[in-house]
Amino acid sequence: MPGCDDIANPAGEFLVAQEQPQSPESKFPTNSQSAESPLERVVEYSVNRAIFGSELGRREFVRLAGAGAAAAIVNSIFPLAAAKALAQEKTGPIEKKQLRVGFIPITCATPIIMAEPMGFYKKYGLDVQVHKASGWAMIRDLSINGETDATHMLTPMPLAFTMGVGSQAVPFVMPAVENINGQAITLALKHKGIKGPQDMKGFKFAVPFDYSIHNFLLRYYLAEGGVDPEKEVQIRVIPPPEMVANLQAGNLDGYLGPDPFNQRAVHEGIGFIFMLSKELWPGHPCCAFAARKDFAEKYPNTFQALFKSIVEATQYAHSPGNRKEIAKAISPRNFLNQPVEVVEQVLTGEFPDGLGNIRKVPDRIDFDPFPWHSMAIWILTQMKRWGYIKGDVDYKKIAEEVYLASGCREVMKSLGYKAPATNSTNHNFLYGKTKVFDPLKPEEYVKSFAIRKT
Amino acid sequence: MAFLEIEKVSKYFPGSNGKGAICVFKDVHFHIEKGEFVTMVGHSGCGKTTLLNIIAGFETPNEGGIVLDGKEITDPGLDRMVVFQNFALMPWMTVRDNIRIAVRAAYRQWDRRRVGEYVQQYINMVGLAGSEDKKPAALSGGMRQRVGLARAFAVQPKVLLLDEPFAQIDALTRGVIQEELIRMWMATKNTVFMVTHDVDEAILLSDKIALMSDGPEARLAEMIEIGIPRPRSRETLIENPDFTRIRKHVLNFLVERSRRVQSEPQISSALSPVGSQFSSTEVTG
Amino acid sequence: MNGTVHFAKVKERQKAWLISLLFLLIFLCFWQLITRPSTGGKTEGLPGPFAVAQRAWEMVSDPFYDRGANDKGIGVQLLHSLGRLAVGYTAASLLAIFLGVVLGLYPTLYRAVNPYIQILKPISPLAWMPLFLYTVKNSAWAAVMVVFMSSIWPTLANTAFGVISIKRDYLNVSSLLQLSWLSRFFKVILPAAAPAIVAGLRISIGGAWIAIVAAEMLIGGTGIGYFVWNEWNNLQLTSVISAILTIGGVGVLLDAGFARLAKNLSYTE
Repeated sequence: MPGCDDIANPAGEFLVAQEQPQSPESKFPTNSQSAESPLERVVEYSVNRAIFGSELGRREFVRLAGAGAAAAIVNSIFPLAAAKALAQEKTGPIEKKQLRVGFIPITCATPIIMAEPMGFYKKYGLDVQVHKASGWAMIRDLSINGETDATHMLTPMPLAFTMGVGSQAVPFVMPAVENINGQAITLALKHKGIKGPQDMKGFKFAVPFDYSIHNFLLRYYLAEGGVDPEKEVQIRVIPPPEMVANLQAGNLDGYLGPDPFNQRAVHEGIGFIFMLSKELWPGHPCCAFAARKDFAEKYPNTFQALFKSIVEATQYAHSPGNRKEIAKAISPRNFLNQPVEVVEQVLTGEFPDGLGNIRKVPDRIDFDPFPWHSMAIWILTQMKRWGYIKGDVDYKKIAEEVYLASGCREVMKSLGYKAPATNSTNHNFLYGKTKVFDPLKPEEYVKSFAIRKT
Repeated sequence: MAFLEIEKVSKYFPGSNGKGAICVFKDVHFHIEKGEFVTMVGHSGCGKTTLLNIIAGFETPNEGGIVLDGKEITDPGLDRMVVFQNFALMPWMTVRDNIRIAVRAAYRQWDRRRVGEYVQQYINMVGLAGSEDKKPAALSGGMRQRVGLARAFAVQPKVLLLDEPFAQIDALTRGVIQEELIRMWMATKNTVFMVTHDVDEAILLSDKIALMSDGPEARLAEMIEIGIPRPRSRETLIENPDFTRIRKHVLNFLVERSRRVQSEPQISSALSPVGSQFSSTEVTG
Repeated sequence: MNGTVHFAKVKERQKAWLISLLFLLIFLCFWQLITRPSTGGKTEGLPGPFAVAQRAWEMVSDPFYDRGANDKGIGVQLLHSLGRLAVGYTAASLLAIFLGVVLGLYPTLYRAVNPYIQILKPISPLAWMPLFLYTVKNSAWAAVMVVFMSSIWPTLANTAFGVISIKRDYLNVSSLLQLSWLSRFFKVILPAAAPAIVAGLRISIGGAWIAIVAAEMLIGGTGIGYFVWNEWNNLQLTSVISAILTIGGVGVLLDAGFARLAKNLSYTE
């Protein structure tokens, strides 16, 4: 059971060794000198992992045997070229090759976005175009209408929509979490002296959507600090790309929002990062990859291929060494449309905080696909707490229906990654009265809060 | 049976603000023979235009009806073409098109070429050759009414209805057009019913003049037969003693008697070309 | 005599042009003056006219590029927006003209329907969007319907007014001639009411163009409104201002087109 130390990711065991961040070129020795596509580098990466178990192991081997010999030996054990060809093979005939995947231009969607330019979708035989949406309501409509086949969503959204809360009842499945951590409370520069929730009474906050981890984390933080989020502050819904402009205009005192908009506020000199979300609940889920249940049932092979490409992209993004390369791939206008240095600061975790300090938090944002049922249950308790859902809730059943933990485990294993053994776990908070959330006792948890709506 | 029968026609307009209905005219009854040119004269408000509208089919009478050639009239139609005081030309159409639309409506089976020739014929007839492609705004009042006349004659209606056709035309041009109208009428021998203020014009053009008393509750007071032989011209007519006599009679009616003829029975007086007898049923005073 | 009159007119027009240019010059200088360089931090502040001109030139010199679903040249974006505008506007105009004629010819019906028109008319077309998205279930068609809702009312109102105002005489002539309904509609009613109809169409196209840009900011996809929103996300104000100028320019062209049409269909009575 992962403890407090394992704050990078709940399922820490799949990281065999801590790897030094390196530029992509030196990490992937190539047999040929020609420029390789990211796809091919990924294949090599996987093969090398399989043979040597880690980057350290490989480098040791090369140092001993010499680069040329090492390459030849690798090739004799495992024909790299063939492996690359193999990677192109489909996993069962794909029913629908051309897909549209919706996303919001935030760093939470990194695996979804990067999978297009870096070839992860293509690797599994899919022709995917990522489609930028203007806000979460639009994402909801596009996915319910079927205008997108799969979508970037906030982790509470598939739960809410399956229950018919905040939309018509449409069953969704969430095979993978995109990112964990990666959010922050950003405040306007004029609030430099703020120490805690007590100083925030009367503030105007923004969150991306009602059914977002941001909304629930913000309310949790304020409530545990003795401030009633329903009565003593204003919480508005503003699409993330508009948060910086609103902060600048003075419409907001702050927001708990996704990056790169926290870092962008610092970059523009209008705000500072007050608190990273990982300082509230380390390893909290944020965004996810979701699809309508009937899509997954109608096109199972396509769904599997998507599942695999996303999980693989997520794992690739998890490695600190790849972050810079990814930042470059997802910054252009077609995707995030943000300055590359801002995206880099977010992904690498080396950033100015707006108060004159440079901080180094490598897991400021992290990527881990495993959709713990316990995460779903926590979200459901908060939805119950604030009156978004009423009446009795079968927490376990809904979590199991929507969050495909077992399916994710299968995919992770098939790709050669280790996955957690269980589907549920306790979660640890760094803030608040009740520091440990036990998913087996959801109702008691809801009732344990002093400030709540229901 | 006469060609056009106006049978005891009465017209009421709804009263305003709770007052009772106003009667414009009552029990108007006269006949027009085929080929006759009849003019109605009276003060404003006697309902002569309303009567013309009823004959045209734009309005319906409250009592009585109109019978044309044995059939009762209810709606407007090509058999009773109107020449309007305001010319009523479509300002977005050229002279040619204004006549064309009428011809095409009257002769639906004709092909383009035939219609074109026919239209040109009538344009020439009213002396507008060369102005075919002008829009009405570019024409003088007199020219516009020529188009109106051409349009009306071109459909060869059973009855031609003229609603103060020359009232908007200047006095000098008026005379010319009046003579053109006579020319065209004598060539086609249409039955004509005209309404006018102009007494001289009535005497010049018509076979009979119907005198209407003043409204409300106007009546047909007198039907005068003009015995002056045709062709009549303005220059010579002035010299004619019958013209002077009829003119005096009509003017006298309009100035004095029209007001008092509310309860008189309807009469018809015939004036012979020579002599000045009035029928014995005429009421004087 | 004619020569001097003509010359005086030309001089007037030239004077107006010169004054116009002078205003522009003053404005540009003012703009350049108020755009300060950085105020600490990396804030660009409002970009000056030269920066905007440069960016505008960039955008216009490669208007049809395609670097992915969410990054296309300004020409492509404009064409998408104009396409949606065309579909929604044409449908709305045809319906509005037809309904307007019917209402104009039957005043009792007009009076009966008018309260509903008055209620629907002031509703911002964008407020309909969520409803359309929910029912139509297609974001592209929802945008087209927003255009539809914003183009219909001015044309409808003006057409009805134009038809009611048709002089009795013309209608009398058409009944005398016993014209068929079709003939009457196309040869008498439409041309007579044309100036009023075109005035309505002209107002409608202005409203529709405004609405489509706003709708696209909400819906995303491809379009000039989406382009503005995307550039705004990255605080690229030079692009935003250039796009705004483009939007205005297109609006001017559309309006000028209808002004020309109005001139051609006008008549003097």
